[in-house]
Amino acid sequence: MSAVIVAEQLTKWYGPRLAVDHVSFTVGAGEIMGLLGPNGSGKTTILRIFTGYLRPSSGAARIADLDVVDDALAARRRVGYVPEDAPLYPGMGVAEFLRFMGRLKGLAGAGLTAAVDAGLERLRLGSMRATQIGRLSRGYRQRVAIAQALLGDPPLLILDEPTNGLDPRQIIEMRELIRALGGERTIVVTSHILGEIERVADRVAILLAGRMLGTHAVGATHGGRRLRVRLRGEEAPVRACLAEVPGVAAVHLEGRPAASAPVYLLDVADASVAEAVAKAVIAAGFGLSSLELAPVDLEALFLELTREPAEPGR
Amino acid sequence: MTLLAKEEKAIFSSPIAYAIVAVYLLLMGYTFTLMLFLNRTAELVRVFFQAAVLFLLIVPVITMRLLAEERRSGTLEILLTSPVREIEIVLAKFAACLTLVAAMLVLTAADAVVLGLYADPDWGPIYSGFVGLLLLGGALAAIGLAVSGVTSNQIVAAVIAMGAGILLWMIDSIGYLLPEPFDTIVTSLSLVAHFTPFATGALFLSDLGFFLTVILVGLLLSMRTLARR
Repeated sequence: MSAVIVAEQLTKWYGPRLAVDHVSFTVGAGEIMGLLGPNGSGKTTILRIFTGYLRPSSGAARIADLDVVDDALAARRRVGYVPEDAPLYPGMGVAEFLRFMGRLKGLAGAGLTAAVDAGLERLRLGSMRATQIGRLSRGYRQRVAIAQALLGDPPLLILDEPTNGLDPRQIIEMRELIRALGGERTIVVTSHILGEIERVADRVAILLAGRMLGTHAVGATHGGRRLRVRLRGEEAPVRACLAEVPGVAAVHLEGRPAASAPVYLLDVADASVAEAVAKAVIAAGFGLSSLELAPVDLEALFLELTREPAEPGR
Repeated sequence: MTLLAKEEKAIFSSPIAYAIVAVYLLLMGYTFTLMLFLNRTAELVRVFFQAAVLFLLIVPVITMRLLAEERRSGTLEILLTSPVREIEIVLAKFAACLTLVAAMLVLTAADAVVLGLYADPDWGPIYSGFVGLLLLGGALAAIGLAVSGVTSNQIVAAVIAMGAGILLWMIDSIGYLLPEPFDTIVTSLSLVAHFTPFATGALFLSDLGFFLTVILVGLLLSMRTLARR
């Protein structure tokens, strides 16, 4: 699989503030890559470097082997971009705006008309063709912005928070649209909402304070697994008992320790350890009420990676 | 061409343009009538100076939204991430603004037609006066465009551009207070010093060069404001 997007040690300073800190990743052809992180984590900055709106302070960004600084125009021709909040010209009609953007992207004549019509149809904007953009609802404006990004059939789509400000039904439609578009081209999509990105992306990169904490293939199985064990008993003996079971790497307490039947999370090597844990717990006489295998999901990974390091003395 | 068409439409579909043209024509008509009945001379020198002073106030209002509005609404990001060059964006906006200035001058030419019908004016200064006004309008437009590029607030853009234009217009006055060689430098920066020869019918290449330089510098600065940071 050839890489459509390559970021190499990408770094961006805004004056004294480090917004993106030596971020490297690649996105392959046809892949949907999600960038996940809280607001201000550097997602939009990374996208803006790839779309040519910002220059990297150091490091390299390439789209289909074209450097976004040295081959700026050629690189930009290969990107369809939907900025956050879909800024559009409110005074233009929908079709008029799409024709304008198409011409900027080098389309003309019959090709332009065909591309605009295809965009209007794909995003189901046909009935809005002559409507002024300023009169459209948020959801429709987002669709116009995506139709604009698809003009000229770029191999790469960059969507910044595409579901922001949409109602639940529109969010579901947008998700389906992104998945459908993903089959044909490479997509980079950002979100600060975990559940959102999990449903859309093939792979998720987690960003915090400008640093990339890791990437995670959505839905793939992992070496590390977790057991969720709910049982009654004194905390210290329970911990000792669980830690002694062969194959258990670590024991964490989930939630409030004061709960009558607290949940313990065990990092285990593989699923077969569950049986040994059950035997050990029952043999020790603790009241076992549930035992289940929990794969390391994106949420857990996110919380773990973004956990602030514990301050000394607390 | 696509960008130019968009900018022309943006300017001429906005009520600002029509308000500006209407006010301009009203004030110019007043000046022309007054001059005709008070002076009873077949010349337009006073009209040209009146137009020049109005341009100082009006052109910044035309240019204020050109880049500031795109920056505020975020559409600048769409433009700059399209496969177009900064120079195309700047030239399209400048040309659209100059079109409106030229349209105002064409309407002002009615004054010259009236003179031609009822008297026998000296046409030389009239032609050169219109050329001078177009150059002055271009210079003010380039300055206004550059100022519009550094802010996302239209009013701020208009006020600063007006201040810059008016200061450049009368900067020669301070020359009397300055020692050599600063007095010459300051005088040669003055818009009024370079405009007066045009209005009175004396065409100098150096004055033409001055206005073209101001336009060029303004456009280059406008492009700088679009530079990717």
